[in-house]
Amino acid sequence: MTLNVAKGHCVIGVWSLVVSPMSRRLTNADLEAYLDEALSAEEMALIEQEVRARPELLKRLAAIHGRRDAGVHSVGEIWRRQRLSCPSREHLGSYLLGAIDENHMVYIEFHLKTIGCRYCNSNLGDLRRQQEETVEVIESRRTKYFQSTAGHLRRKS
Amino acid sequence: MPASSDADSLLIERIRRGDGEAWNDLITRYEGRLLAFVESRLGRRGPSEDIVQEAFLGFLNSLPNYDGKRPLESYLFSICAYKLTDHLRREGRRPAVPLSAGSDSTGDWQLQGSARPASSIVRSGERKELEEKAVMEALCDQIERWRERGEWTKLMCAELLFVRGWANKEVAEELEISEQQVANYKFDFIARLRTLVRDQELSQEVFPELYEEEANK
Repeated sequence: MTLNVAKGHCVIGVWSLVVSPMSRRLTNADLEAYLDEALSAEEMALIEQEVRARPELLKRLAAIHGRRDAGVHSVGEIWRRQRLSCPSREHLGSYLLGAIDENHMVYIEFHLKTIGCRYCNSNLGDLRRQQEETVEVIESRRTKYFQSTAGHLRRKS
Repeated sequence: MPASSDADSLLIERIRRGDGEAWNDLITRYEGRLLAFVESRLGRRGPSEDIVQEAFLGFLNSLPNYDGKRPLESYLFSICAYKLTDHLRREGRRPAVPLSAGSDSTGDWQLQGSARPASSIVRSGERKELEEKAVMEALCDQIERWRERGEWTKLMCAELLFVRGWANKEVAEELEISEQQVANYKFDFIARLRTLVRDQELSQEVFPELYEEEANK
């Protein structure tokens, strides 16, 4: 199956799924990341759409569950789960300000956009939003979280 | 990104003692990135905030079991992902995935050739953790070495090959290097990991992708 996002149409083909105009197949690494909710929101939505349209993809996802249950490791899963190459939040902040050496900048851009690291993109989104939201809005949200959870603090821990 | 920082460990200890100020600090430190994580997927602020709230509650519930081996941020993201997935399933957006691919619970991931299926090996949770830790440390060393030497292309190459699972040709096109270079980088990388597996006396059968080419011969 090929999904051309740019043109918005599907072409039935082999087992692979292409999720971008760059014509790439849907890899097992993509499916592993999908199960862990670790892909970019756009890619997650595309795969969801495909899984609904093609139930046979469920078999591949189930096979990943089986492999995990049996304790078989994947280097990519360990790398992603442990976030081995994720830039620190401080480096993401410097990236936003353009205050980082060029080669490192290129790598961070690659990690955010080509790898599409959801965790780093979330950190970056948060750093950007901090510049846009008022202190009142942020404080009100944090207070809500605190008040709705603090009662569980002693009891649960 | 290694284990939790000292600052996070201290924060957790204070929260375990019921320190409200420490709990507030944790919320202040992490809520923004968790909200961005959820909102990027849901696109709606209200339900996204609810999920983050559930994730914080989930964190308190799981605190007795949190051993600090995973960085706090990654642990919070994983709870958030779980809550988000649950929400999406309830909304009917995310299809439920069966737990196995059929009557054969191992599915179709097994090694080709004569290798014994890993499912037949009795392995404890501790053993699996030890395997993951050994590989993680080796990967960390390698990534750090690439960074120190400014070998960013090698890092990007390995990340595309293993984290995204791209084919050599696709990686070569993306990074504007030759397929032969990609193949060489991949060969060196896999050779190092195989050495680690051998030296640490880990089972080859649980790292099938490192031996795929041999199995396909």
